[in-house]
Amino acid sequence: MEKMIKFVDVTLCDGCRGCMVACKNWNDLPIEIEEFHGVQSHANVTANTWNVITYTEVERKDGGLDWLFRHASCLHCKEASCEKVCSEDAISHSKYDTVVVDEDKCVGCGYCVEYCPFDVIQLKTLKDGLVEKRKAYKCTMCIDRLDQGLQPACATACHAGSIVYGNKEELLAKAETRLQDVKDRFPNANIYNPKGVGGTNTVYLLADKPSVYGLPESPKVPTSAVVWKDYAQPLGKALLGVTTMAVVGAAISNAINNKGDGGHGHE
Amino acid sequence: MSKQVKRFSKPVILAHWLNAFTFMLLYFTGLPLYSEWFDWVYVLFGGPENARFVHHYGGLVFILPTVFILLVDAKSFTHWMKQIFSWKAHDFAFFKGFAKEFFGLHADIPKQDFYNAGEKINSLLQVFTAFLLIVSGLLMWFADFFTTTLGFSQSIILLAYPMHSIAFGLSVAVVVGHVYLSIGHPNSRPSMQGILKGYISEDYAKAHHGKWYDEEVKDNLKM
Repeated sequence: MEKMIKFVDVTLCDGCRGCMVACKNWNDLPIEIEEFHGVQSHANVTANTWNVITYTEVERKDGGLDWLFRHASCLHCKEASCEKVCSEDAISHSKYDTVVVDEDKCVGCGYCVEYCPFDVIQLKTLKDGLVEKRKAYKCTMCIDRLDQGLQPACATACHAGSIVYGNKEELLAKAETRLQDVKDRFPNANIYNPKGVGGTNTVYLLADKPSVYGLPESPKVPTSAVVWKDYAQPLGKALLGVTTMAVVGAAISNAINNKGDGGHGHE
Repeated sequence: MSKQVKRFSKPVILAHWLNAFTFMLLYFTGLPLYSEWFDWVYVLFGGPENARFVHHYGGLVFILPTVFILLVDAKSFTHWMKQIFSWKAHDFAFFKGFAKEFFGLHADIPKQDFYNAGEKINSLLQVFTAFLLIVSGLLMWFADFFTTTLGFSQSIILLAYPMHSIAFGLSVAVVVGHVYLSIGHPNSRPSMQGILKGYISEDYAKAHHGKWYDEEVKDNLKM
């Protein structure tokens, strides 16, 4: 199958928020009213808002002002921490190399929320007294549209050509060309496709350093996730097996050795 | 029937069983997150949200026995603590014989304290893992409070997850042995009376806790 990615050239984005509307519309996500925080509608992506345009004001060296926009959504890491720590195998990679949550398997433990290096995946909570029904949600890259040969809703809606979905090789080459194009205007411009998480299925051309956009400079799968899932948990299971075997062995050998004796001589 | 020897106070017995009961409850409600073989546990509790509810608030109950015993019978608690941190030659010598005895062979084990070396190891591991489980559990449950209000870094919260997992694995392995020795193993089974009724037979005290018997029990019984 042809390898596809989403390429977001933030320097073309004019902050119209058409992608946000298209995302809500296609994925049938409820309205979420937050308190007023300036021109940016939502502080961050949530379980009900999978796509937010962030607006960042940066002062240039010449005293001028840059208003930086970014289409913030799941980056779909190749080595996805959320998938690694999921307790129920509810998070997996689709055939489109995107990370998807199986709603039926999700039990709402929230491990993925804590471990996402980009603070993307979030829980939807339904309170019933002290009992909280929870499930994790995030962008799927419109997997149900991809299945139909369509583009993700955000890419279809983007009138500026800032969000495009297409062939991986072509788009990565395009990213390099665009980087050269904007270098004069944005000296800190860079391609954001972090190696620490094995690369992402959404590749950005950022106009400034990742941290300016609130993105981690060098995200990676947290070491604690590796210690936990690759060592602690398998070893813990093995340890339970070993002690159980020892106990079973002891029960059997006691039955054999104590035949007719009834235990200790001194009892 | 031989004379009965006082072993544990009523508050100790209550604290032990409250601890044991909540441990098992927490163990079972946590198990489906640890291994998908046990997802049926969710069904028993009426859904993962109920299992989570029981696990969270059960975790708070798990802290209670320690608080309770400190308030009601601090003497037993400090005695226990002093004992389990006291390691002498007869404690180390215990394990050579124990391995044989565990599998039903006869072995000569040096006279033991009120808590024998095996019980000391069990206690140390349980105290250690319970501490880890409670601290890491609170960090995970109240992550927002710790990061936003107290300014903890996210990496500390993330550390709680492997910590909880390691302590879970270790504590369960210890519990399997502890439970077997208390209800399964023919030689140590009579000790169950001590933690149920508070008394054990003089013979058992002499055989399994000889040092304690010689120093503190023998003379009292003669009076």
